[in-house]
Amino acid sequence: MSSIKQIPVVEAKRTNPLARVFDDLVRFCRSRSLFILHYCTGCGAIELPPAMTSRFDMERLGIQPMVSPRQADILLITGYVSIKTLKRVILTYEQMGSPKYVIGICSCTVNGGMYWQSYATAKKLDEYMPVDLYIAGCMPRPEAVIEGLQQLMDRIHAGEANSWEDYYRNYDYYLGNQQKLFGEDWQTPTDVISEAKHYDLLSNGTLGDHTRLLEQHQKPLEALEMRLGHEQKEPAK
Amino acid sequence: MSKQITHWLDDLLAEIEGIVVRRKSSRRVRVDVPADALPALLELLQGRAGYIHLSAISCVDWIKEDEFELVYHVWSYESHSLVSAHIRIAREPGVYLSVYDLYQPAAFFERDIHEMYGIHFEGSPNMEKFILTEWDGPPPMRKEFDSEAYINEHLSWQEYNPEWLQELVAEGGGVIIPPEEQRFSQKKK
Repeated sequence: MSSIKQIPVVEAKRTNPLARVFDDLVRFCRSRSLFILHYCTGCGAIELPPAMTSRFDMERLGIQPMVSPRQADILLITGYVSIKTLKRVILTYEQMGSPKYVIGICSCTVNGGMYWQSYATAKKLDEYMPVDLYIAGCMPRPEAVIEGLQQLMDRIHAGEANSWEDYYRNYDYYLGNQQKLFGEDWQTPTDVISEAKHYDLLSNGTLGDHTRLLEQHQKPLEALEMRLGHEQKEPAK
Repeated sequence: MSKQITHWLDDLLAEIEGIVVRRKSSRRVRVDVPADALPALLELLQGRAGYIHLSAISCVDWIKEDEFELVYHVWSYESHSLVSAHIRIAREPGVYLSVYDLYQPAAFFERDIHEMYGIHFEGSPNMEKFILTEWDGPPPMRKEFDSEAYINEHLSWQEYNPEWLQELVAEGGGVIIPPEEQRFSQKKK
């Protein structure tokens, strides 16, 4: 990911007395325009349509669903995460642009909930990605979801909701847990370490035994071929 | 009309040796047959009695008797009745014949049972992984698979007992189930 390095990063200088004011303004704006990724796991998602639509109306808080992870701010995990799903959740989480927030809805994301004995579901979501907020319940009512989202907004405004930095700072820990579940050759298409360098969040926990293991197994990423139009594949003869 | 059909069905079923017919209700018949007679029975039911729809194949693991029970549910759209054909096969090696040539939907059920119980169906078109594509453990629905031991080994557990819940419980509301009451491996004996 050498191309990321080539992008000039302007160092923020704290000489302007108004800088903090702008920071506050930026955080205010950020907390008032949140996009929720339209990705639902498990059964808790059934509480989201009423929370989004006219009765509870999330949009009055500036929260809207968004279809693409690149443009989304919040990843809602609405219920049990099976191990197959967890892979996809991690891929999605890594594709989202920072700052990003994860909310675990339902008891299943806390400790497995009613699926605590199941071989197929992951129990603790915060082992695999940093979670900003848990909304417990089976399932939480839309009031609780809205309450939780408001708490998240308050924390973003106060500058406390920065658990996404934790993923870069302690990437080795999260990667280790992922490798324990998915096997040693687990690899995602996102170069998290380069991103950590880009955000200037490289710390002692970023690199470690597990990232070394990743480097051993890592297959080099190749860019997808760009093509215009819809060429039809020729049938094999 | 339905009585006539059931009479007729009785005559038909009597053609199979070693068959036990139990009538559960006017539209439900339970049939126990030896394992090697099942294809003949299904062929009769499909070809001569109109039981053309295989609703499901279910499997029961009787670990104490060292047997698997396979139940073939076939439905007739003419007489609106269900016949459940029960067979028992040995748990080891756990191999049975596929009924794919009679009922094509069987491929789906057999693949599922193969994945969950490890029974191999000879002649089934596809015995690849189905839902648990990323699972490399033993077939998880077998009784000897200890799900709790598996999760204790592979996944961690965290308590969720916040203060507000304790307050509620102290007032006589809420539900707290301590892990020693919930988790079998931590139960006091």
